[in-house]
Amino acid sequence: MTVLETDGLTKQFGGLVAVDDVDVRIERGEGVSLIGPNGAGKSTFIDLVTQRLQPTGGDVRFKDESIVGMDPHEIVQRGMSKSFQTASVFPELTVEENATIAALAAEHGAFRLNFFRHENAYPEVTELAAEVLDSVGLYDQRDETAADLDYGNKRRLEIGIALASEPDMLLMDEPTAGMSPEETESTVNLIKEVKEAMNLTFLLVEHDMEIVFDISDRIVVLNRGQVIAAGDPKAVRDDPEVQTAYLGGTAQ
Amino acid sequence: MSDEPSDATATAPAEVERGRGFAARWSAFRDREFSTVVVMSLGVLVFPVVFNSLLDGYNQLATLMLIWGIFAVGFDILLGYTGLLSFGHAVFWGGAAYVAGIFSASVSSDPLLVILAGTGFAVLLSVIVGSLSLRRGGIYFAILTLTFGQMAFYLATSPLAFLTNGENGFTSVDIGPLFGVLDLHQPLPGAFGMLPGNTLYLFVGVLAVAAVAAANRILHSPYGIVFRAIRENERRAEFVGLNVWRYKLMAFVISAAFAGVAGSLFTIEGNYVPLDSLYWTTSGEVVIMTALGGVGSLFGPLLGAGVYLYIEFIVSGMEVIGPFWHLILGAVFVLVIVLFPAGIWGGVEAARDALAGGED
Amino acid sequence: MSLLVEVVTILLNGLQQGAIYVLLAVGLSIILGTLKFVNFAHGALYLVGAYLGLFITTEVTLSNGLLATWGYETVGFGLGFIVALVVVPIVVFVIGVAMERFVAQPFYNRPDTDQILVTFGLAVVVQEIIRTFVGGQSQSIPRPGWASGPVALPIVGNFPRWRLSVIVIAAVLVGLVYLLVEHTDFGLIVRAGTLDGEMVKLLGIRLSRPYLVVFGVGAALAGVAGVVSGPLANVNPNIGTEQLVPAFLTVVIGGVGKIEGAIVAGLLLGTVQVALIQTGFAAWSRVGLYALAATVLLVRPQGLLGSEVDVA
Repeated sequence: MTVLETDGLTKQFGGLVAVDDVDVRIERGEGVSLIGPNGAGKSTFIDLVTQRLQPTGGDVRFKDESIVGMDPHEIVQRGMSKSFQTASVFPELTVEENATIAALAAEHGAFRLNFFRHENAYPEVTELAAEVLDSVGLYDQRDETAADLDYGNKRRLEIGIALASEPDMLLMDEPTAGMSPEETESTVNLIKEVKEAMNLTFLLVEHDMEIVFDISDRIVVLNRGQVIAAGDPKAVRDDPEVQTAYLGGTAQ
Repeated sequence: MSDEPSDATATAPAEVERGRGFAARWSAFRDREFSTVVVMSLGVLVFPVVFNSLLDGYNQLATLMLIWGIFAVGFDILLGYTGLLSFGHAVFWGGAAYVAGIFSASVSSDPLLVILAGTGFAVLLSVIVGSLSLRRGGIYFAILTLTFGQMAFYLATSPLAFLTNGENGFTSVDIGPLFGVLDLHQPLPGAFGMLPGNTLYLFVGVLAVAAVAAANRILHSPYGIVFRAIRENERRAEFVGLNVWRYKLMAFVISAAFAGVAGSLFTIEGNYVPLDSLYWTTSGEVVIMTALGGVGSLFGPLLGAGVYLYIEFIVSGMEVIGPFWHLILGAVFVLVIVLFPAGIWGGVEAARDALAGGED
Repeated sequence: MSLLVEVVTILLNGLQQGAIYVLLAVGLSIILGTLKFVNFAHGALYLVGAYLGLFITTEVTLSNGLLATWGYETVGFGLGFIVALVVVPIVVFVIGVAMERFVAQPFYNRPDTDQILVTFGLAVVVQEIIRTFVGGQSQSIPRPGWASGPVALPIVGNFPRWRLSVIVIAAVLVGLVYLLVEHTDFGLIVRAGTLDGEMVKLLGIRLSRPYLVVFGVGAALAGVAGVVSGPLANVNPNIGTEQLVPAFLTVVIGGVGKIEGAIVAGLLLGTVQVALIQTGFAAWSRVGLYALAATVLLVRPQGLLGSEVDVA
């Protein structure tokens, strides 16, 4: 089943066409990476998919439904989730509270809570929060303040939060940016684990080519707002246009 | 540690029994809702005794402190917990005060109905003002609320003076007996007359306890954690699927409801509504009270209101430093913002934690 | 009077009232736009300018306040208005620089709300210090001799010379600031810093010194607004808080950080206010102003001349 489909997606800022007539299709269970040189339009594309920006042309369909004009929380409730470039958590809340928020939203939707019921009266939320923490290996740190976690653990927490609702698709914007090699390896393994366990569909924006070739089923290459290549990793690596535009001549 | 997620609900009481000793049991007692109500009620009863005899206080001032305290507690739900700074809350306080006054003169003098009228107005108005002001965050929100507040002030000054009596303030307030029998300005009958404070103080006190209990419940409901999440990282809250805008509006309306109750009580207490109650400096006063007392805590704003009014009414009458009271307030406020962001209550909690030898 | 005369009179008076708003708004706008600092003490700078202007220009008799009780009932230098016009901007500039260094800098990394809180507190402190020492009674700065009386203008006939002077002074100062920002290297650094502070720092340019100047200039403009308002309105400790809200409104209506925006918005608001007063809707003049502000903010949040990119 097609989870995400963009159809002639275009974004123009005045005279600059940041995203130019992009068609992308992601099937369930696929791990797709989006690569391209700086300024190729990757971030803009992601913003268009999450409707943080409105397209100037074309359509974005999530599970066969056009999501143009929807608020982010509506899209998330429909099954799309995002992990941000800098691990975006709730710093002054505890790790457990971080997971609880995600669980609240997952179990009870965008706005269906009762402010007169005590927080302890929601066992399903507490359970889900514990499960989330366990799945990313942070259950032991649940009483720590999120801001005190090291960056790798923050990233884990954030991925946990993003996955709490068992999304149909996860967007990841440079998840390993600024990480040490060990942290990077750990994060990549986590992504692989989750992909296996949940049959996770994801769209990954990355600069690290090793990671991209390691975990992607398919790669889409963007340059100057346009798709210049798309296909399995080997095909993309051997594509001459990609080599010129991005890999700088000969492939690694 | 354990690999499978232990039954999370079972860990809650387990954690309660975790530590031994007085500190842990006190912490458990403190966290229970019932105890909050008990502590607050006791505080309300004991306060006039301490205040009047030891601190040069008097009943009317104690009553005012509770009234502003209700305002500040609600305001803190918006500022301390959700992280939104409104500089226009005087419109709910003053607006409720005026509506309460006008209602008492034209419709009914029953105090409870008067409060209902004022609060209802504040809530309705807050839905409108909130819907318009919350489209943008940060300073735009502060400025938009400021704008609406000032608009109300100038409306009350001239165009609506036929309703509000303009610059002289509303003088036709007519508060009758509670339930038709209990005159709020007379001493209580029989043994009740022996209670600390006076009738009006106790009436306000009951409402203050109710307000604190309500705030406590709200903050310990899922709303509480959602509010804090919004304050911490709004974008992330949106992207876990929460309708952040709706929650912000709820925080706004809730804070306006508290302001409405307080404003109505203000009219009942003073039998008069000053035009100033709508001016933006009144909004500034509740901001100072809340920040001074301690944002993000339940009792902090009450403390802040108490300290502020104490300085305004008692310190101002003292020799030597009397004329400087407002200056002192401003200076203390600046100090708190710069050095003690957790306010006076934060200092109290820090001292208590230090005394308890640290719990964690 | 004829419609044309009435319209032009409104325009002229609106221009003068607008000039005050412009002076306040331009200063606030560059502080907000460049330093990203929310200065709720801007009204206090206006207040200080007014009182400084008062005491430099003339001698006043104090009836309450500490100075009076200490026996200093007549205070002031009596040096005339020109001296005040020169000295006040300089002094308030220095105050502004000090504010940037000691108030703004420590708060750049703290949330917006904290900036608002601390500057608000500071405003209260300044206001109360003035009230304590000088008392709360209203004063007025006498119009300087060279600018009192009427001046003959086409169409409207006699127009108060002082009001005209205010327009001229404001125009000159704002023009100078505009030139400074748009056509000097300093201005270029400041503008670049506004758009991308990180990048500028990476280029090796220290922004701390330009930032001091920006705050100083912004403050000085507010101070001048205070001085030139002196002969037109009362000088008392409350005028700071009175002017703060219109100043912010003008800034956001014009578009934060855009000097042209502050000019347009200030003149617009001044004219609307005057128009409402002179056409018999005085009771609604303030309400109208705020309603206009709210409408613009809601319909076009980036301000009249702001760009969409500025709005997150």
